[in-house]
Parts: sequence; C-alpha cells; structure tokens
Amino acid sequence: MQCNFVSVSPESDFSIQNLPFGVCTTSGSEAPHVTVAIGDYALNMATLAKLGLFQSIKGLDAESVFSKPYLNDYMSLGRSVWQAVRHELQDFLSNTHNALRGQISASDVSVVTPLREVQMHLPARIGDYTDFYASREHATNVGIMFRGKDNALMPNWTHLPVGYHGRASSIVVSGTPLHRPNGQRRQDQTKPPVFGPSARLDYELEMAYFVGPGNNLGTPLTLQQAEECIFGAVLMNDWSARDIQAWEYVPLGPFLGKSFGTTISPWVVTMDALEPFRVPQPTQEPEPLPYLCDESGSPAGYDIHLAVDIKPKEGGEFYPLTRSNLRYMYWSLRQQLTHHAINGCNMRPGDLCGTGTISGPAEESFGSMLELSWSGQKDITLGDSGITRKFIEDNDVIRISGYCQGDGFRVGFGQCVGEILPAKRA
Amino acid sequence: MQCNFVSVSPESDFSIQNLPFGVCTTSGSKAHHVTVAIGDYALNMATLAKLGLFQSIKGLDAESVFSKPYLNDYMSLGRSVWQAVRHELQDFLSNTHNALRSRISASDASVVTPLREAQMHLPARIGDYTDFYASREHATNVGIMFRGKDNALMPNWTHLPVGYHGRASSIVVSGTPLHRPNGQKRPDQTKPPVFGPSARLDYELEMAYFVGPGNNLGTPLTLQQAEECIFGAVLMNDWSARDIQAWEYVPLGPFLGKSFGTTISPWVVTMDALEPFRVPQPTQEPEPLPYLCDESGSPAGYDIRLAVDIKPKEGSEFYPLSRSNLKYMYWSLRQQLTHHAINGCNMRPGDLCGTGTISGPAEESFGSMLELSWSGQKDITLGDSGITRKFIEDNDVIRLSGYCQGDGFRVGFGQCVGEILPAKRA
Repeated sequence: MQCNFVSVSPESDFSIQNLPFGVCTTSGSEAPHVTVAIGDYALNMATLAKLGLFQSIKGLDAESVFSKPYLNDYMSLGRSVWQAVRHELQDFLSNTHNALRGQISASDVSVVTPLREVQMHLPARIGDYTDFYASREHATNVGIMFRGKDNALMPNWTHLPVGYHGRASSIVVSGTPLHRPNGQRRQDQTKPPVFGPSARLDYELEMAYFVGPGNNLGTPLTLQQAEECIFGAVLMNDWSARDIQAWEYVPLGPFLGKSFGTTISPWVVTMDALEPFRVPQPTQEPEPLPYLCDESGSPAGYDIHLAVDIKPKEGGEFYPLTRSNLRYMYWSLRQQLTHHAINGCNMRPGDLCGTGTISGPAEESFGSMLELSWSGQKDITLGDSGITRKFIEDNDVIRISGYCQGDGFRVGFGQCVGEILPAKRA
Repeated sequence: MQCNFVSVSPESDFSIQNLPFGVCTTSGSKAHHVTVAIGDYALNMATLAKLGLFQSIKGLDAESVFSKPYLNDYMSLGRSVWQAVRHELQDFLSNTHNALRSRISASDASVVTPLREAQMHLPARIGDYTDFYASREHATNVGIMFRGKDNALMPNWTHLPVGYHGRASSIVVSGTPLHRPNGQKRPDQTKPPVFGPSARLDYELEMAYFVGPGNNLGTPLTLQQAEECIFGAVLMNDWSARDIQAWEYVPLGPFLGKSFGTTISPWVVTMDALEPFRVPQPTQEPEPLPYLCDESGSPAGYDIRLAVDIKPKEGSEFYPLSRSNLKYMYWSLRQQLTHHAINGCNMRPGDLCGTGTISGPAEESFGSMLELSWSGQKDITLGDSGITRKFIEDNDVIRLSGYCQGDGFRVGFGQCVGEILPAKRA
C-alpha cells in the first residue's frame, strides 16, 4: 500500500501503515481537535468526518467524536470502530478513486496542515496513570545497586507485573519544560535529611499505552479482553529524582520523586499499526499463574527500536545515551493490563499505563542514567564531545524516539522531548 | 444562630453550623445537581441560585456552577466565594426577614427534598487520589507487627508525611456494594503464590479532604496557601486486602490490595464548618524541615469523633469496632498538602487526599481490623453478640460515622457505608 495523497519518505515515522492519532491546535483552528499524521502533515479528522469519510461506520458519530478536544470518546468505541476508521483512511490516502479524493486535495488547509505548523496537546484526559516495572534487566540492575547480586530481584517480581499508581495531573506533552524539583534528601545517613534541589535527576525510557473501552468495577478482564482493550501507545519519559525517591519510598513506593513531571509523545500509534511487529515475549520462568498465562494468543511482545539522546547544556548537538527495544519487556502489555484489573479495579478510556524503564542486557540498552552511571559511580561520556554526565544537569534536553522498521516503511512515534530548567527557589 | 426554616435536632449531623455540600438526584430532579444538607433535608442550590440567593457574590455564576453534576467548579473558586455562599445560606435559614423567605417555604419541592428521597453521588470528579500515612499510632502498630518493636517506624516517617498515589477510578460513594477481590497471595512463604479470593479483607478508618483552587505545575504551596486551598472533608474507608497487599507491595507500594474499591461519604463538610473544632496537632519531634514548620498559623488539628461499626452477616444489629478521633493525626492536613506540592506537583480542584488510617493510643481507637486482631492473632468480639471476627466476612456491612460536638449542635459527616459481597468466580 502506498500513500499517493501526499508524498511520504521511507524514513518517515508517519507512513500510511501508521496513521497515529493526536490532538492539536493550528493557527487556522482555535479549538483543539483530533488529527491523524501522514508524512509531514496532520489531517483534520473532524473535517474529514464532516465531508463524510466515516459515514458508513456503524456506532461512530464521527463528526462529534473527532471534534472533541480529547481522544477519550474515540478510545471508548472499541476495536471494530478503530479498524473501520483505519480502513477508510488508508483507502482515502492510497486510492485515487476514493470518493473524497475528488473533493479534497493536499493543499486544502481545512484538512491538511504541515506538522511544523501544529501545536500538539495531551491526546487524552488521563483519569488514572499506572506505572509498571516490567523489564527484568532494569529491575535487576536497580536491585543489584541497592541490595547486591544475591537479593537483586524481589521474590514477587517473577510472579506478578509489579506496578504502582502514578500522578496523572503532572503528565505533560513533549516539549513542555520542567523545573528541577526541590525536596527532602538524605545523602548522609548519619545526619538528618536536608531540603533543596534534587542532585540526582534522571530520565527513564518507557513506553505507555492507552486503555480503550475498559471494564466495570468488579468485573476483571481476561488476557484476550485486555488485548482488545488497548488503543495505542506512546513514548514516555518517567523523569525521576533519585535522591528524593530513595528517602521517601519505604514502605509505600515512589511519590514526589516522580510526580513533578512525566512527559509523553503526542502521537498515539494504534495497536493495529504495531500488529506486523509482534515478536514472542521473553520466556517466563516460573510459568505465571493461569490468569496471566496465555497459550492461545498471538505473540505478545513488540519489536520497537527505542533511543534516548541528550543535548547537553554546553553543546548544540544531541549525543546518544540509550539504544533499547520494547522486545526486552518481560511482562507483556496484555499481562500488565489483565493483572491491573484482576481484583475488579475498573479501567476507563484514556487511562495510561507505563511499562516501566525498558533496559536490555547490554549496557548501551540501559534505559536510565542510574544504570548507565551505575548509581553515579562512573561517568557517562557523550559521544566524542568530551562532555560527561552522571545525572541530568540544568538546561540539558533529553529526547526519546522510537520506530518499527517495516519493508520500505516505518511506523514511528515521533519524539518525546523535555528540557530541565533550574529549580525554583523554595 | 438557629435554623428556623426547618427544625433541626441538636443531635443532627446537619446543623446550620455545618451546611455540607453534596451532589444528588431526586425523583423530581433526575439530573445530578449540587445540594446542601440541613437537618433532614437537602436544599437544591441550583434552584436557590435561580431565585437569586447568591446574586450579590462577585466571581460566582451561581446558577451555572450549582447546576453542574460535580463540585469541581465550585471548589475551584476559593475561600472568599465559599464564605460568601455560606453567609447567604445561613442568613436564609435563620433570618425570617431574608428576602427569599417570603418566596420559599419548607414545603417547596423545587428547593427542599427529604434526605431519604435523595440519592447521593460522588461529589466531585477526582482527577488524582493520594493516600497519606499520617497516624503515628497506626504506622507504629503496623511496623511492630511486621518488623518488631525496634524497627517499627521507618526512619523517614517523622521527617515527612509519607504518602502514595491511589486509584481514582474505584472511589465509590457510600452505599455502593463491593465484591471481595481476587488476587495473588502467598500465605506460605515456602510455597509458590496462589490465586483466589482475599482471605484478609479489612477496612481502614480515614478522613479525606478535597483540594480547592490548587497550584500550577512547578509552583509549590506554602503552608498558609495549602490551608486556604482545602475545600472540605469526608469520611473514607480505604478497604484493604491485606494478603494481596503483603505479596505485591515491595518495593513500589500498595496497588491491587487497595484499588478494588475505596468508599467515601457523600456530604463534604467545609473547612469553615470545622473551624470551631481546631485543636493543636500532636507535638512533632524532631521539628520538621522549615517548609513543613508553621509557627504562625492557627492550630492545625481537628477534634472530630470517629466511629466504625459492623453489622455482621449473621445479625441485624451494628456493633462497635473503632472509636477514634482525627486529633490524633501526627501530620496535619496542611502539612500533607504542602509536602505533596513541594516538588512542583500540580494539585487540581476536586483532587482527593486521604489522611491514612486514624488510630489513637488506646486499643478501642485502632482504625483497622489488622490492628484490632493484631494481624489475625486474636479474635475481635462484637459487643455481646458472641460473634467474633479477625477480618471482614462476606455480607458484613462496615459503617463509618463522625461528628464534631458543639454547644447544643453538631457538625457531622453522615455515614460512609459498604457491604462486602462474595468474590466473583475468577
């Protein structure tokens, strides 16, 4: 399938095989509205709906749903509607005989806006945000650093996808600067804690997925239902203040060390777009309990190339920090979501679930500076710049990117970018 | 001040000194709307607004705000609006010469509904829910049970109000039945974990407060600002599955052991109504860091009598379980909220913060069955019924209640009730 509505380069994240959803404003359209990305352009879905592109789809009031400033209503409609919309879009973009191709051209500004002219917003109202801890390599690295090799992984880790509730209010869209947080820290265990700017600020390379239709309180999801429930995925930076986190987190978990800000990329790549990139998840040992065991389903992992780069305050260039892949993830997305709802907890359209830091076996794949610097014990060298880091410094910019490589096309996630500004005076 | 609009008994929770806010539907008004309780009645605030009761209040579009199905918009308006509304209401209810008294009588069904005919709903859309752990007695009891007397309180506990993010979606209003959750437990550490209904289901006696105007991301609150920010409080039952919680919670905190359901009472008692019941909070040792230290403010504790009773499945009567008081709380509400925002985390109108289980020094004041049965080691006797419990059984009903005792009047919270239904087959 080829897009012949606009030209799309083979290295573009936004191929006709992708068609991610986002919410944006443009100069010509004041209210935030739903768009789909193709090549270097954003397509106004509300306008396409008005022109009738989706009128044959049962259960979809397209004009209403795509005029909303958030994707929650669309996410609630479920897989058969999502697939029908995808089908109509792909036909419009690839088939010159499509009915609307006679009415809309690529220079039609009510439909087509260059991406450089759009301002992206959070794609959904996030009712609840959960963060998992599903990478065995990451959990092991952190465990070795804090408890030694023999006690690295906690006993529960291989039996259930460990997770915690995060702060929804401070999830921001890529491009939003964040201030270094102030908080309590206790570097010296022989002295009382002190208050001030975090001295160990870190990024965490994660992905996050949006829940679609959800479940009622009291009624859990099977693995199959959980898979059908997932709308799509974004990149996520779970910024972490390691010193604030270390002092506060026993026994109730991470709190202020995380809640000062979490950044996500704006384009939600649908699970349908990721379908060709399924790979088996890592073998699980021991075998999980039956509710997490899925012999019948399609491979539950995804081959998604992930990268983190840093533009240090001193320099004008980006240097590599992390090269990883979602395929390393021990607990699959559907296992995480099934576990989340197994006690009857109700998931709602627009809920966001993070995978946890995605680290692989090799050092270059470690998804955080905590791991790359081994808790600040060694320097991370930035390319051949001579600049080094242990943790993030003021005015550094961290950029996360990712894509799936198809045969002559890519399905990519755009960017998840953030600059750290100096701490405010407390 | 006396209410002469309707008669209010001295034992009523809903005195003219209270005037709590709630959201309800009635047979006559099927859309959710804002009401205020007085005696045995609910007053329709949208109708009172239409009739002009609040028209002189600057910054308040009363008809619009009180017609909303949630209190978030009203909560966002801040203390001077809340106090002006309170003043108008009190004048209407106590002053026969008030302009509206000649137009509205107590039998006017568009304004006045008997409480027994009102169905209450969640009072706000809760964007984020946080639970603190602010009772020294509770944290110590739990610590002794799990780590022994010498390691009872973690080192951070006396330095910061420990808290964690909870699940917002599963917060339900009083009266909503909840199913016993299924989940992973590991009762025998020498064997693998098992899956099934929780065998150690518990209640937790808490209070919770709603955030009003909030703060922007990156801009913390001072103690004084935090105090001004708090709209009002409710009772909260933080139902807990102790076995699910114990297996999952290391290292990232409570998750599924809590998220199957959390119940709150429907009437939000304003901080203005609680003003006469301030008491000093317990002495803090060591003195907290400056951002949590408040020498200039009014006493930060509240004398609120709290009770938990159980109607066991075998019987038709309620028996006492806990008799406690908010005044035992080590970390005050304003300290909790200040700490929550100190890293720049943005609080939003309608956010809910729980205090954590409120236990006092005496056994009768322990706020959970975990403490009353000392981790299931001893039986709790229910009055003189002969019935005993260690934890909650199917079809038990747990009821929380609470009030402040004034001179000839009460400011009370109504009830926070829930029945536990059997686990669904997994």
